[in-house]
Amino acid sequence: MADVKFPYNKIANNSQDGRRSKVIFYIGRSWSFFFLIFLLFIFSFLGENFFSVNNFNSLILGVSSLLLLAAGETFVIISGGIDLSIGFVMGFACVSTAIIMRDMNAAGYAPFISMLTGSLVGVLLGSIPGLVNGFLVARLRVPPFIATLGMWGIANGLAWRLSEGFPVGFLPLQARDFGNAFLAYFSQKEGFSILIKPELTERADILSLIKIVPIPILIILIILIVFSFILSYTRFGQHTYAIGDEVNAAIRSGINVPWHLIKIYLISSFLASCAGVLLVYKLHMGVHTQYTSSYELFAVAAVIIGGASLTGGKGSIWGTTIGVLIIGTLNNGLMMMGLPIFYRYIAVGVILIIAVLIDQFFPELVYKE
Amino acid sequence: MKKYTVHLMIVSLLILFVTMTCAAQLRFAFMPGIADPFYFTMEKGAKAKAEELGVELLIGEYPKAWGPEYQVPILKALVARGDIDLLFTAPTSTEALIPVLKEIHDSGIPVITVDTYLGDGDYTKPSGYDFPLSFIGTDNFLGGQVVAGQLAIMLGGKGKVFLENTNPDTSSVMNRELGFRAGLKIFPEMELVGVEYCLDVQETAAAQVSAALQRHPDLAGVFGVNVFSAQGAYQAVVGAGLEGAVKIATWDATETLIEALKRDEVDLILAQMPAQMGALCVEWGVKHLNEGAEIPKKVTPGFFVFNQENVNDPEAQQYIYK
Repeated sequence: MADVKFPYNKIANNSQDGRRSKVIFYIGRSWSFFFLIFLLFIFSFLGENFFSVNNFNSLILGVSSLLLLAAGETFVIISGGIDLSIGFVMGFACVSTAIIMRDMNAAGYAPFISMLTGSLVGVLLGSIPGLVNGFLVARLRVPPFIATLGMWGIANGLAWRLSEGFPVGFLPLQARDFGNAFLAYFSQKEGFSILIKPELTERADILSLIKIVPIPILIILIILIVFSFILSYTRFGQHTYAIGDEVNAAIRSGINVPWHLIKIYLISSFLASCAGVLLVYKLHMGVHTQYTSSYELFAVAAVIIGGASLTGGKGSIWGTTIGVLIIGTLNNGLMMMGLPIFYRYIAVGVILIIAVLIDQFFPELVYKE
Repeated sequence: MKKYTVHLMIVSLLILFVTMTCAAQLRFAFMPGIADPFYFTMEKGAKAKAEELGVELLIGEYPKAWGPEYQVPILKALVARGDIDLLFTAPTSTEALIPVLKEIHDSGIPVITVDTYLGDGDYTKPSGYDFPLSFIGTDNFLGGQVVAGQLAIMLGGKGKVFLENTNPDTSSVMNRELGFRAGLKIFPEMELVGVEYCLDVQETAAAQVSAALQRHPDLAGVFGVNVFSAQGAYQAVVGAGLEGAVKIATWDATETLIEALKRDEVDLILAQMPAQMGALCVEWGVKHLNEGAEIPKKVTPGFFVFNQENVNDPEAQQYIYK
């Protein structure tokens, strides 16, 4: 099902020159990785102050939500489905977390308690849409596109209702400090320090302070490693690929497909809720997702650029991560070059189409775990 | 027989009395644009003025989202009762609300548009949308100029500033941008180094301002045209560790933003005057209906600028949207 044969795909199987084909095969397989390196290289020359630790921090923080959303989407797309609700599930979890934090903070609970309770309840509430999606898709046979489009509206409506369309503020200050902290700092004046931000007053010193690994990114990285392990090294992961590859074969081989699909949509919503909770710490307020943000579409784009196929059976967490980084680098790099916003939309669009073309014409080049 | 006559006389007297009081008491209707603190504050201002002048004020249900598809059904239900003397409303579309409000106007109810307008907002020249009595609302262009001036004063008249806007297709924020650009021209040493559009997504705003700070390490100020762009700008500034060194100006004195100002997260907030707008609608409406006064086609209440010094002043509190 996934390997649609085109008459042009002769490179890997029919080439006379074995060595050359191997090189092309290798580059083609990892084209997105090499493309990312190429982008970083180009922008280092063209963008003002692009190549710096602090800019890479702002680049990766700019796509931090997308990293988690796209990771969840990877599971769904590998299984042959699609989840359009993730962006608004994130907003729903974000608003719920913030409201609990705000009210507990106002009631005089310790900041740590209100932050922990808010985060846990936010993740739990935000996972419910995934259960519903999974049930609709797996048990009631609603096409994933429709089921999750329905949830797209429901989650957004709930988030709006809860927040009255306005940002939820008045959260503990510790939340902001945690969400904007770094693992380590290096300044020329004070030297190297772990977790504790040096007190600097001079603007030049502040600007030259090197910040290493934002805390939210560290958390996201741990989550990604866990889910990448699940996808690549467990039976759960193998079953996910099997269902996306050929669902009837998966059923015949004894996989409980409906139950497995419910778990996949649950993972997708769970990761979206994690993104929403992290957003509260980063933004220091709860915001519902705007209609204009199109998180779900950028997540799908990242998954496809990362080597997955909308027909299922292909893809990987790290491929998706590269996809997200390509989108982030394009946005940040073109911004550093001073290009207006619409060029960035065009650039992401072009890259997406190239990714799908590579998938179409050279299916055997693309990642298949 | 005599008994009946007495009854009849009493009843007619009562009817006469009721009609007289009805004629004396005007009944105005207010149709807000969306459920948000801005319009809540407007309602409060209008209510206070209505009580003062003895006007009965009917409030339309607050639409949950912005747009004619939400507003028009509520508006139609509101005027359907047929005993309204004047309607003031914030049209949620410059085009789609023209026929709806025209119909209301033609049925004998004068219309004032408040905060937002029909067409291009100029009701003085003949057009398909020149029927409203007046447009009472903020001059976004002027507000942008005020922010530019205040920010320049705060920065000592020189420095690089950045504009974080939201949607390039929305007239209000684009007018703020144009006003801001025009206002900066007065200060030859102020330089606008960039404009970005975050589409109301705070995370995007933060990434954009972060990039601007990387490109222009000597950036001195940011104008975020609404709460999302301002908070995103603040987040980027905190991320760079430049709290206080980069001034952030923003628009609309919601409680969230006032709280941010008290915490030094933003430095300047331009407050529109929704309460005054509501009060002006009632006041001018009464003058027009009772005294036949000619209302100016455009009324613009001023602004109030919040900063660190005046945010706790008792007289400033009335300008917070509550």
